Order: sequence, then C-alpha cells, then structure tokens
Amino acid sequence: MAVFLELLVNGISVGAVYALIALGFVVIFKATEVVNFTHASLLLAGGYVIARLHPLIGFWAALAAGIAAAALVGALVEFLILRRAHVGSRGVLAIVTIGVDILLTTELTRQIGTEVLALGDPWGDRVLHLGPVTIAETRVVALAVAAALIVAFLLAFKFTGWGVAMRATAEDAETAALMGVRLGRVSLSAWAVAGALAAVAALFLCVFPTPGLDRGTAAAAMKAFPAAILGGLDSTTGALAGGLIVGVTETLMSGYQSELAFLGRGIGDAAPFLVMIVILLLRPSGLFGTKEPARV
Amino acid sequence: MSEPVSEPVSEPTSEAATPVRDTPTTATSTTATPTAGTPAPGASRPLLAVPGITARTLRLVLWLAVVAVAVAVPFYLEGFWLQAGLFAMSAAIGAIGINLLTGATGQLSLGHAFFLAVGAYSYVYLSTDLGLPTPLAAVAAVIVAGLCGGVFSPIAGRLKGAYLGIATLALIFVGQHILFNAEPVTGGFNGRPVPPMELFGLVFADTPELVVLNVPFGSLERLWFLGIALLAGVAVFARGVLRGRPGLAMNTIRDHEIAAGVMGVPVARYRAGVFVLSSMYGGLAGVLVALVFQQVVPDYFGMLLSLDYLAMIVIGGLGSVAGAVAGAAFVSLLPQLLTRYSDALPLVAEPGSGGVSPAEAARILYGAAVVAVVLFLPGGLAGLATRLGRVRLKELRWAKSAPAPASRR
Amino acid sequence: MGKIGTRAGVAALALLSLAVAASAAGCASGKATGGGDGAGATAGGDGVKTGPGVSATTITVSALTDLTGPYASFGKSLTQAQQLYFDQVNAAGGVCGRKYELVVRDHGYDTQKAVAAYTEVAPKSAAIAQFIGSPMITALKQRVDGDKLLTIPMAWATTLLGSRAIQVTGTTYDVDMINAVEFLVKEKGITSGDKIGHLYFEGDYGESSLNGSKYAADKLGLQIVEQKIKATDQDMSAQVAAFKAAGVKAVLVSVGPRQTASLVGVSLAKGMDVPFVGSNSAYSPQLLPTPAGPALLKDFYYVSAGTPVSVQNAAMQRLVADYQAKYPGETLDSGVPTGWSAAMIVDEAMKKACEAKDLTREGVLTAHRSQSGFGGDFGTPMDFTFFDKPASRSSYLLKPDKAALGGAVVFREAEVSELAKDYPVPVG
Repeated sequence: MAVFLELLVNGISVGAVYALIALGFVVIFKATEVVNFTHASLLLAGGYVIARLHPLIGFWAALAAGIAAAALVGALVEFLILRRAHVGSRGVLAIVTIGVDILLTTELTRQIGTEVLALGDPWGDRVLHLGPVTIAETRVVALAVAAALIVAFLLAFKFTGWGVAMRATAEDAETAALMGVRLGRVSLSAWAVAGALAAVAALFLCVFPTPGLDRGTAAAAMKAFPAAILGGLDSTTGALAGGLIVGVTETLMSGYQSELAFLGRGIGDAAPFLVMIVILLLRPSGLFGTKEPARV
Repeated sequence: MSEPVSEPVSEPTSEAATPVRDTPTTATSTTATPTAGTPAPGASRPLLAVPGITARTLRLVLWLAVVAVAVAVPFYLEGFWLQAGLFAMSAAIGAIGINLLTGATGQLSLGHAFFLAVGAYSYVYLSTDLGLPTPLAAVAAVIVAGLCGGVFSPIAGRLKGAYLGIATLALIFVGQHILFNAEPVTGGFNGRPVPPMELFGLVFADTPELVVLNVPFGSLERLWFLGIALLAGVAVFARGVLRGRPGLAMNTIRDHEIAAGVMGVPVARYRAGVFVLSSMYGGLAGVLVALVFQQVVPDYFGMLLSLDYLAMIVIGGLGSVAGAVAGAAFVSLLPQLLTRYSDALPLVAEPGSGGVSPAEAARILYGAAVVAVVLFLPGGLAGLATRLGRVRLKELRWAKSAPAPASRR
Repeated sequence: MGKIGTRAGVAALALLSLAVAASAAGCASGKATGGGDGAGATAGGDGVKTGPGVSATTITVSALTDLTGPYASFGKSLTQAQQLYFDQVNAAGGVCGRKYELVVRDHGYDTQKAVAAYTEVAPKSAAIAQFIGSPMITALKQRVDGDKLLTIPMAWATTLLGSRAIQVTGTTYDVDMINAVEFLVKEKGITSGDKIGHLYFEGDYGESSLNGSKYAADKLGLQIVEQKIKATDQDMSAQVAAFKAAGVKAVLVSVGPRQTASLVGVSLAKGMDVPFVGSNSAYSPQLLPTPAGPALLKDFYYVSAGTPVSVQNAAMQRLVADYQAKYPGETLDSGVPTGWSAAMIVDEAMKKACEAKDLTREGVLTAHRSQSGFGGDFGTPMDFTFFDKPASRSSYLLKPDKAALGGAVVFREAEVSELAKDYPVPVG
C-alpha cells in the first residue's frame, strides 16, 4: 500500500508538470484550433534563457526574463509565420508548426551544445515527507502553480474581455470578427500566453528530480500530447485532468513493471497512449472537450 | 523491367483510361473547387507553330528521357547515390500514401512510420519464419499493413482533425514498444536480417555475382530497378485514384465533410478506405526500405520518421503524386548531400568546430523549407513546377504566335 | 499517358536505354572497371599491395560519429582525439610512406543516415576508426563483415562480437556489470540473498548489461530487481520508489548520464542511501556542476575498461597536454583516451600490414588479428586474436571527483573478477 501511495503521489507530481505543458497546447488550440508542435521548442527557449541568465541576474529575474522571452518567441512565430501561411486546413498549419519546431529546436540545441544546464531554482533537491511518502518540493510547487494557473485561466475566460474574445473566436471565428473581435490579436495573444506557459513548464521540467536542461528536454514535451488530448484539446480543466492521468498512469506502470512484465518492460511510456486511445474511443473529443458542432 | 510485385489493388479505378491531359496535379485546397476536375485547356493542341509537335509528343519525349536516365543511373553512379536514390524511392512511395490521406482527404496522420514498420517486419517474418517465397511475402506484408490500417480505421473514423492526428501518435509509441518487446517475431532491439528478394530467379543481393555490360551489379544496382518499377506502379495507381471519382470524393471530404455527405459521398467508408490504402503504401515503403537496409532495427521507425513524411508532402505539394515524390526526394536527399559535400560548402563547418554542422544545416534547411513553402509557395515544389511550366508555355506561345494568348482563366 | 503512347514509349525506351547502357560500358564509366571491394588489389610502386582506401600517398580512415544527436559530446571528444592522433602521425612522416586522411561523417544517431554514410565512405576507406551507436552497427554488421573493413565500434554490446572485421575494444557491457556486482559483494557488504536494483535502457546497451548482472547475481545468490526505461525518460522518481519498495541494497545503472543523475539524486533525497555502480556510459563529468553533483560524489562508482584521463602515466599526460593545446577549453571526458586508442589500434594494424607489404583489407585484418597484447596506457590490455569473446575482461572501478581532470579518478585498479574470467559471453 505504501508503494502504491508513493507511486500515486509521484504520478500526481509528474502529472502537474505535464498539465502545465498541456495547458499551453490548450490555449493555442482554443484560440486558433491549431495543434501546436512548436511548443517543445518554446519550452527549450524559455528554459534556455532562464538557465543562461540566472547566474547573472538571479533566479526570479531570470525566470521573468525566460517567460518574457518565450512569450516573445511565441508571438513572433504567430506574427511572422502562421498568420501569413497560405494554407487551407488546420491540419496543414499543424505541419507548419512542426517545421518551425525543427528550425527552433535545431538552433537551440546547437546553442545548448553538450552541456547540462542548471536552472538555479531555490528549491533544490529538498523533499517533503508525508507519512511514509516523500515528494519533491519542486513538484509541490509545480502542482500549486498548475492549479493556480488553471483557475486563473478559467476566470479569465469567463470575466475578461480577452477571455470573451477568445471564447467567441473558438465558437465561431467569422461571427466573432463581424462582432468586432480582432482575430489577429486574439491569436497573437494566445501564442504569447502559450509561450509564457511553456517557460513556466520548462522550469519545472528541468529542476529536481531531473538534472537540468539539455538537448533531450524537448522530447519530454511529447508526453504532454496525450495529456492535452485526453482531457479535451479546448479545455483548461481537461489539461489538468489529462496531465494527472498521464502522470499517474506512467508512474504506476513503471513502478509496477516487474508485476506487469508480461506486457513487456518499459510499458510506462506506451501506457499513456493506450489510455488515450481508450478514452478517445469512448469520448472522441476528450473528457472535457466540447464536441465540434456540425456547421453547414 | 519486371512488373511491380506488390502494387496495392483495392479499388477499381479508371486510371488507365484517363487520357493525356494538361491538368495541374496540385490541389492546394485554397478553394473548394477540386482542381483535379478542372478542364484541360491546350491538350493536344499544337503547341508551337511547327506542325506535328504536340504537347503529347513533347511529354512523351520528356518521359522517355526520364526513363532513360533512370535506367542508365546504375551503370554510372556509385553505391552511395544508388542507396540515396533507393531511400528516396521508398520515401516517395510512403509519401504518396500519406498524401492520399493527409493531402487529398485532409486527415492528419502522425503514425505513418508504424505502417512502414509493419510492412518491413511482416516481410521478414513471413519470408523467414513462415517460409513464404519472397515476392509473396512482400505482397502479404503490404496486405498486413493494410489490415493494421483497417483495424485502426474504426478509431480513425470516429475521431476528427487534431484528435485523429494525435491519436495516431499512439501507433508510433505502442508500435515501438511492441517492436522492442515481441522478440520472437521482431528480434527485439537487434532487429532481424532481411532476406533478399528473389524474383524470377534473380536474387536482389550481392551474391551470386552478376555483371551487366561490364558493370558489376550488386544488390543496390539490382534493387534500383525494383524500386523504380514499384514507384512507377504505385504512382500511376495513386494518380488514377486522385484523378478519378475517388479523388473528387476525397477532396470534397477534405474541403467540407458535411457537404460531401450531403452530396452522397459515403464519407465513413471513404475515410476508412483511404486510411487502409495509405497504410498499404506505407507497408510497401517499409518493405523496400528493409530490402535496402538488409537489417530491420526498431529505432528507425520512430516519431521523427513520421514527421519527415508530413514535411515531405508539405514541401512537395499537398494532394499530388508528383508533389509527394518531389518532397520525398528533397527531404531524404538533402541531409545526405550536405553531409557528403560538407567539405566543399562554405557555410557548413567542420564537424565539432562549433559552427553549423552538416546535419544541423540539413535540419535547418528542411524546417525552413516547410515554412517557406507555406509562406511563399502554395502548392509546394510540384506547384512551382506547374507554374514554371505554365509560364514557359505562355512565353513559347507568345513568341511563336504574335497575338497575345488568351489567358488561362 | 495514353495507352498507345505508353506502349510505343516502352518500346522506344527499351531501345534507348540499351543504347545508353551499352555506351556506358563502352566508354568505361568509373564503375565498369570494377571498383568493388578487395578484388581490385594492386601492387603500388613500393611493392605494397593496396586495396580500397589506400593510394600511393594516402590511407583514408573514416569516422562515423554522432556530433548532433544524443551522444554529441562523446562523439566530439572521440573525433577530436582521433584527428589529433592522425595529425601527429602525419607530422611524424605518416605510415608506410603514406599520410592518413580522416573522413568524418556525422549521422546524428539516425540509422538511415548511418547506413547512407557507410555506403558512401566504405568503398573509399581502409578502416573505420570509430562507429558510434549499437543500433547503427547492428544494422550494418553483415555488410561490414562482407566488406572486410576493419571497424572499431564505439559501443560495447555483446551483439557486436563474432565478426572478424569488427573490433570491440576493451570489455563488453555485461563483463563490466559482472565486475561491478563482484565489487559490491567484496567491498560494499552485499551478501547472498540480497536484492540489487538494475536500471537499464531499452536496447542492446541496457540489455547486454542486464545479461551480465543477471549472470553474476545467479552465481552469487543475489536477486536482480529490473527497471527498464527509455532514453527519453528524465525523471526517475517512479523507479526509485519501486527500488525502495523492493528493498534493494545497491543499484546498478546502465542508462545515460541524465538518468543517472536523476536516479542518484532522487534516491538520496528519499533516504535510499545505497551504493550505485554504473556502466561506462552512465556517467559524464558535465553532471558535476549541476544540482545532482553532490549526490554523484557521494556513493556512485562506474566501471570502465578505459583509463580515466586523470591517471598519472606518461602517455596519458602527453595526450592530455597535446589535446588541451589543440582544443583549449574543451571537456576532457572518457571519449578522448577512447578515441585516441581506437585510432591507435587502426594505426598499429596499418603498420603491421605495411611490414607484410599488404595494405589490402584482408591484409589489414590479418595484421590486426595477429596482435595479442595491445595497449595498457589507455585501457586494460587487449587480445585481438579472437573475435567471439571480448578483447579484455578486466575493468577499472572509477569514482567521480570534482577536482580531477576529466571528473573521475581510479577507485580500484583494473582487475578481472573471478566470475568474469569464466563467464561464457553470448555472441551475436
């Protein structure tokens, strides 16, 4: 039982990080209906700026700079490329974001080189003891930040002009435009916000229990895809739920791999995708996603 | 050369009967009009003032030249080029398949590498363990890939757009998990050796030795012809599909699914059918790439391969066969060329010196190509070729016949 | 194309292509002369028989490496060390009256690129001084063997044994792990009945290592608790929880440096204070400045047949000085001596082959396989006369050290454990 609890708590703590990454996918999808593969390189960009600046200006200033930088990169990608892309379908725009991601990731990994960069966070490798279970402090913070951000987004979508504009765009872009919503601005701000979220996610992805930022970091962003999808691509609550489901599934399957050896060892990495398929079969738009209405 | 061994045949089409037409093959989806259906102006009309030379003859000469070059290549070029060409051919076959699905029908798929893996491993398993004759094993492998597509297609049919795209990611991750763990069938991390194809007594391997016109014909030289034949076969088939009724239906589904349904297109059946067909193309590409590799290893069939395929069809041109082939050639040849000629290229640094290495330059160029195509080149490389061709034709006509030609639209 | 057009075309094309092909053969394209492998061995003016990759003035040696993928830092050290080696030999007059030329191809740990690069360089190379990546070499093993091209893989899985042309240097991963288990039993108080964790990568590196630890555990009455992960996994919390729950007394580590750092850090933070012993690819000095540094310095060791750069012998010190002079500020990791000694193996084979006046591939292989006591300065002594067993069975036990050059010092001198001596190595 203690093992189960330990794994469960670990899973939730990993899930918090996935939720933060997934939230970035959700914000962009909500505003523009594009699946954003560039998110991985936004993560790298944010993390890289934090890692390079923290010895010079201290951690919190570096974090702010990283968030600003990633937001800027996100906004630039939208403004310079996606806005001007001549394509018909959202699917093709998704492929365009793959191209952008390759460009950015290649350059950033070249800059990172062969180093493993520490992010200089104040939590270090401290852990909290909850009875028999231990959890890294960084992960407690991550969970709190993810929850706070998700509440903030829920409120913002409901009560701010920006949120209403975004919801209106998601509902029906043409009508929203006719009503005076500036689509360009909505999409630009969504990308900037997603960039900022990516920097926050990068922070928690690269601190203890992982050793730091390096060229492999971007690969971890892939695991947030099933999280975003199974929660529902346009739901912030879904991002949190999806992140936690993926984190817990992965951790339990890895932790119990000796008992599950008949499934093949290393099932932990494939399991989230299996869960995703099952959930999508039951609910094709994810747990909390809105079903796309048929527009004729 | 020989007939294509394993051309997927699933739907009757009218491809062979399609007459020569001057139709642009690109379908850039900016309009809802299916471009494949536009009338073909200028077909067989005298092109130059010279009597007797028609667009048709010109085209024939052009194709003959292409074929002659393709046949001559193994007699001149060394193994590196042949292998690069074979990788490009395999990529082209796979890219045609995913272009049917993503380009023509509008279904995003990130799982194409999985179907390549199914094709490659099925070929090995069927020929080695079940002892099927190799050509039969290749055909069966393509069918198995199609079956796998068929098994997944209920899921594909239920999901739409982005959800489908990411659901197909599961194929990659689950697929690689199986490749690594189902050791009796897949050989685990080591993979398995690929038995050479044997067709009408000709073995596609280095032994027994074969010398044609004084040129030693090793496995790559022999496979070259097999690759050309397969590619030509599947390209013609896909062109038929795209230009015929199925193509129209697919484009309509892409442009407006509900409208397609209202117009009487059996949407669900088409979507499933295209998924299966595209999987079979993937399977065939897998068989060919396995024959070139001589050993299948699970690492190859990862996510990057799937992403490469998507990049190929965007760079080449969505929804067209020529585009898929051009994109495949671009994406698979670029890194190899840059690596090979890294010494001679000014911008590319010596490995390890801290500058942009050839591999990085290739990645950057390839990412930039995707971006550049959507920004400046709607229709991709194929669209560019069509437009260039059109401009040239216009110039020719203008030069020969004094009055300004009627504009095309 | 119309049907009729196609038929006519096919006929015309057949004729045309035949004509082209015939002219190809007629006017002697490069290929028609038969540039295939070893067959075209010719004797040069100096009476030395030469094969592919050897001309009257140069010997071409290739490096198929990873400079942009997951093993970029290792690949860079290897490549620079080899460049240094061949430059020095050339400056001293070369070998057999010829100068070395090192052709470097970066495959970024991508199988297709590696296969392509091999196809390109193999016909013009006399040897391959480094080839990174087990999956890539496995994919090419048959061809390397057929081409009789002396190849030094930078991977130590047992699957690479059994080929005359492929020379795995030093110990294989499984032998290292056997030595590691024996170290734990001898010096860390592990006794029969105890459980030992083994964290390993999917793939031949991890699974070769697991073979070794299982063998040793079986002989010593220990129990292995397995945890398999992928190279993309970064956070080892779940694995640590599982090890902790199983009550392991020590952990073997056959993963990448990042995962090692996470594993060791999390274990200590969670109060699992046990010794860790890693394979030689599990550690990298780049980890020491990261927050995981202190945990690694505490009770982590790693096993390697290669001598660390911090060791005090004349040859190593000269290499370090020369390397730092040529590449100032570059990390001095295990790749430097490893690359250097691989280059040396190739060079020795060439020298021997030159003495026998036979620089064909067969000649080089024969010369190489005649050596039974190679090296010592940069790693444990190797025997090249067989290829179905590892060239060496003795490994150093190294410990991370912040002050030391290369971030590691010898903790226990190289020795062959009793178990490793009799271990039947699985081949192929």
